[in-house]
Amino acid sequence: MALQPVIRRSAAVLAGVLVAAACGAQPPSGPAASPAGTAAGTAKVELATTQELMVATAADGYRNDATRTNIGMYPLNANIFDTLVTLSPDYQVMPGLATQWEFRAPNTYRFTLRPGVKFHDGTAFTAKDVVWSIQRIAKQGGGTIGVSDTSAVAVGDLMVDITPKAPNLRALQQLVHPSWSIAKAESDTTKAMGTGPFKLTEYVKAERIVVAANDDYWAGKPTLRKITFRFLPDANTRVLALQAGEVQISDIPKESAKTLTGDFSVSRSKVGAYEAMYINIHGKQGYDLGKDPAIRQAIAYAIDKKVVVESVWQGNAEISQTMIPAGILGPEASRISGTNRDVAKAKKLLDDAGWRAGADGIREKAGRKLSLTMVVGFPNADVHKPMPEFAQAQFKEIGIDVKIVITPDTATYEKRLASGEGDIWVEAGSQNDANPCFLPDLLFASPRPGGDEEANMYGNSFAPGATFDAAIKRCRESTSTADVQKAATDAMKLLVDEQFIVVPLAGTYRINGISKKVLDFVVHQAGVHQRWETVKLSK
Amino acid sequence: MLRYIARRLAYLIPVWLGISILAFALALLAPGDPVRQILQAGGIDAPSAEQVIALRRELGLDQPGPVRFAIWLGNAVRGDLGRSYSTGEPVLQSLIDRFPRTAVLALLAVSLGLVIAVPLGIVSALFRDSVVDQIARLGALVGASIPSFWLAYLLILFFAVQLRILPVAGASEPRHIVLPALTLAIGAAASLTRLTRSAMLEELFQDYVRTARSKGLRERAVVVTHALRNALIAIVTITGIRLAALLGGAVIVETIFAWPGIGKYVVDSIFSRDYPTIQGFVLFTGTVVLLVNLAVDVSYVWLDPRVRLGEKSR
Amino acid sequence: MIGTKSRDTLAESITDAHALAPASARPGVFRALLAHRTGVAGLVIVAGVALIAIAAPLIAPDDPTRVDALRRLAPPSAETLLGTDNLGRDILSRLIWGARLSLGTAGLAAVLILTIGVGLGMVAGFYGGLLDDLLMRIVDVLLAFPALILALAIAGVLGPSITSVMIGIVAVAWADYARVMRGQVLSARERQYVEAARAIGAGNTRILARHLLPNVLPPILVLASLEMGGLILAISGLSFLGLGAQPPTPEWGAMLNDGRAFIAAAPQLMIYPGLSISIVVVGFNLLGDGLRDAFDPHLRI
Repeated sequence: MALQPVIRRSAAVLAGVLVAAACGAQPPSGPAASPAGTAAGTAKVELATTQELMVATAADGYRNDATRTNIGMYPLNANIFDTLVTLSPDYQVMPGLATQWEFRAPNTYRFTLRPGVKFHDGTAFTAKDVVWSIQRIAKQGGGTIGVSDTSAVAVGDLMVDITPKAPNLRALQQLVHPSWSIAKAESDTTKAMGTGPFKLTEYVKAERIVVAANDDYWAGKPTLRKITFRFLPDANTRVLALQAGEVQISDIPKESAKTLTGDFSVSRSKVGAYEAMYINIHGKQGYDLGKDPAIRQAIAYAIDKKVVVESVWQGNAEISQTMIPAGILGPEASRISGTNRDVAKAKKLLDDAGWRAGADGIREKAGRKLSLTMVVGFPNADVHKPMPEFAQAQFKEIGIDVKIVITPDTATYEKRLASGEGDIWVEAGSQNDANPCFLPDLLFASPRPGGDEEANMYGNSFAPGATFDAAIKRCRESTSTADVQKAATDAMKLLVDEQFIVVPLAGTYRINGISKKVLDFVVHQAGVHQRWETVKLSK
Repeated sequence: MLRYIARRLAYLIPVWLGISILAFALALLAPGDPVRQILQAGGIDAPSAEQVIALRRELGLDQPGPVRFAIWLGNAVRGDLGRSYSTGEPVLQSLIDRFPRTAVLALLAVSLGLVIAVPLGIVSALFRDSVVDQIARLGALVGASIPSFWLAYLLILFFAVQLRILPVAGASEPRHIVLPALTLAIGAAASLTRLTRSAMLEELFQDYVRTARSKGLRERAVVVTHALRNALIAIVTITGIRLAALLGGAVIVETIFAWPGIGKYVVDSIFSRDYPTIQGFVLFTGTVVLLVNLAVDVSYVWLDPRVRLGEKSR
Repeated sequence: MIGTKSRDTLAESITDAHALAPASARPGVFRALLAHRTGVAGLVIVAGVALIAIAAPLIAPDDPTRVDALRRLAPPSAETLLGTDNLGRDILSRLIWGARLSLGTAGLAAVLILTIGVGLGMVAGFYGGLLDDLLMRIVDVLLAFPALILALAIAGVLGPSITSVMIGIVAVAWADYARVMRGQVLSARERQYVEAARAIGAGNTRILARHLLPNVLPPILVLASLEMGGLILAISGLSFLGLGAQPPTPEWGAMLNDGRAFIAAAPQLMIYPGLSISIVVVGFNLLGDGLRDAFDPHLRI
């Protein structure tokens, strides 16, 4: 779930304890040095004289209204802004605009800011910019951390205290998310005035965003002079643009990754992204069948995850029973048993619950057909293909009729979710931070009055209630890594094994087609953290 | 001439009113409560009953249908087509922002179609049943029968992926317009070739052409001056219809080529169930089409061949 | 562009409609069609596809919605003559059932368009007065739109489904027929056979049904056959956009859309549905031309 994210790792623990399973640890600072996934190794290569990169990206997801604008920040991170702390590809919290931090009981993080940093207009970066940026989020509801107008306090020119409204020891890990980018105080946020390695030169809604190198970047001058991100909402068009050589980097749909050929290499990230179905348990008026636990359980047993992973997605995924990457949950992960295809069991569950097959093979009970609506569109429908139709066929086998609704973009998907019009919600997302509770907290906690808009939207449909919320509370307040992992596992076990609200399908690979001229592009498992300043173009 | 235009305009006003009623009525087909949708678009997930009632009153949605229509139309006339449910932006502004893209594409496609079709149709008619005629007719048949969404991909594969001389999709450089324009032009050329051919043939058999010919004019002059001018009426009619259709947005082609015109915009709005945008689009397109029709009507006055021929022979 | 096709063809035909009026040519129509080479070709194509559509349950080798992920993107073989799609469904079976869907929906739409258009056009032309004025104003409004655009908006508001698409298309396309039909009735009303019927005391309904309809219907049917190609293009185009047939329904436009991702690796996914649409539309266009020429030899120039 690439929602508003937040990264959190275990509380005051700074060292990278929670590491995504498949990744090796990285050096604790600086841009990643290994050219994973690119054609060239460490050998000396001659660089191209024109360092201009073209990247194909999905639909323009930026909000462009004056108060909530996130141009260049999220969901496409154009590296215009920096955050106080950053997330490395192996899920470590790294220094960003803050060089050091310290937890001060009961609920405060104190950050020491990097000296000598300048905004793109040349003005110096100080604590007041951090305070202003945090206040901006406070005005929009406080974000995922839950900040208020007074949460950020400048302790000096280069020192800031951040204290969430309610106890939240995960705030450090949440701050890595690009939504917590630091913009210049009192700046017009639609102009995107940041401190990052690239500065905004042009933004044309739904067409492109162009950034140019910031030669005064504190971590060094980027090699690339210019990056043009083209918004091409159709995945197939993006792939064609890559094949035609118009762009040098594009994502590639899982199902066609193996069939593509051209002057590019295909790079796959390790598992950080996931795919899962959520079942609406609070639905009203026609979307309330998910309230019946037998139906939820039958859905979980109907799907053949092995075939989905191996055939439907062509091996570009791994079966997942936990949704959260197992490495993040640590040794606790094995407590979640999950489900595998068992048609007889699924049928029996429905039979016992009184759902009997009608003439057309679709089950009925008290005159109502077992007909469900499956909504596909987060973050876009292309990434799931053709799994929903495959699932539709598998559900039909056990007598459940499924209507597939495809939404064109995230905004439409979320609007539909906010109105609760759907039974099964198919999502692909990623673990956007190293906090084990990131996903359960964000998506399934009971809605909080005045809480984050997106979190409440999910809570309204899926929140299992008090027992779950108690686990989330433990998560927020724990001080040890093991406790956080345990609480997160308790929460996921409830969702997956007991309530069958979440049917995890797979941990999926992030697949990019990369021109052989592109060097040092390191695919980040969480796309919103993708870095570009290391990238170079060879001759 | 002015009186003629005034008369046409007077006729168009009730039609335009009809279009506005239609656009308004579309929203009645839409499921869901518009007030709730507006509130949700504004960031309120679960609007309270008070908020709903207050906004409903504010928007005049508690009034009976005709009153609501009057309010809506009054706003529309003043340039307010409401705000998009999904982006919150004013609908009219969004349409106006995107319309130039659609207009350029439509004009280019239709011009290209004419450039191909008219000479081909004339040659085809002059040399009836020749090889050229056979090829032109076959081409027109295929061009009119091939789905644009298939043609678009064939063109992309050939020109963009194989030859790499044109871009796949997008709209940032002038080159981007070539493939979508070509896709649309092939469809337009097919029907215009057919039409030019049959109109020319028909005109070639008209009495007055024979008369003109008997007066000793050279055959080529006969063809060009008289027959073509007469055939132009039919060509202009169909060109007008084509142009109007494309100005309403070449929905499929704009979508495939990521061409940010109003056609792609409305398809996106349909999927996001953005009813004010769909409504505004219908009213906007209807208005544009009426204006194109008016232009076509006016052009008849210039083109009326009998009038011209009469003047000359005097 | 697609849907405008229907209106174009119709508009082109309407320019000739004045010439279609005489029903005297009728007895020789079928013979004339059979003598029309390309018309016969069209007839053969249309009849062939119609036969396939009708016999779909008998001749389709497989269930068109049966998913078998293990034989995904299989090349043509004895088991699957045209190969399989990205979910392992048999492409040939999907094409065959797709013919049924395309012809069925386009045919049903045509019947509805004709019924509504002819009915209202006759009523307007025969009774005249306020009713006529009202109906013709509605027609004017509908004709002010490019057909696909309004159909798209209506289908969009109703929500994606093949039924929405049909409603959208029918709601717009009847207007052309009503206008042409009204003109036909107006001119026929003054003819001898109508006056004769009136003289012997026939009621309005009887005159409409027994005397007017048989005389004015044939040219309208010719127009309708010209329209079928456009309807098929419009329906498949809207399905391509995702507004029409929903998964797993085998519909040519939707199949084409699904196949885009494999345009290079498994071109059969895009080529066959595209060819199918093109062939059927060519068939209807040829048949329509043939019928028109057969009806009015004068126009066959």
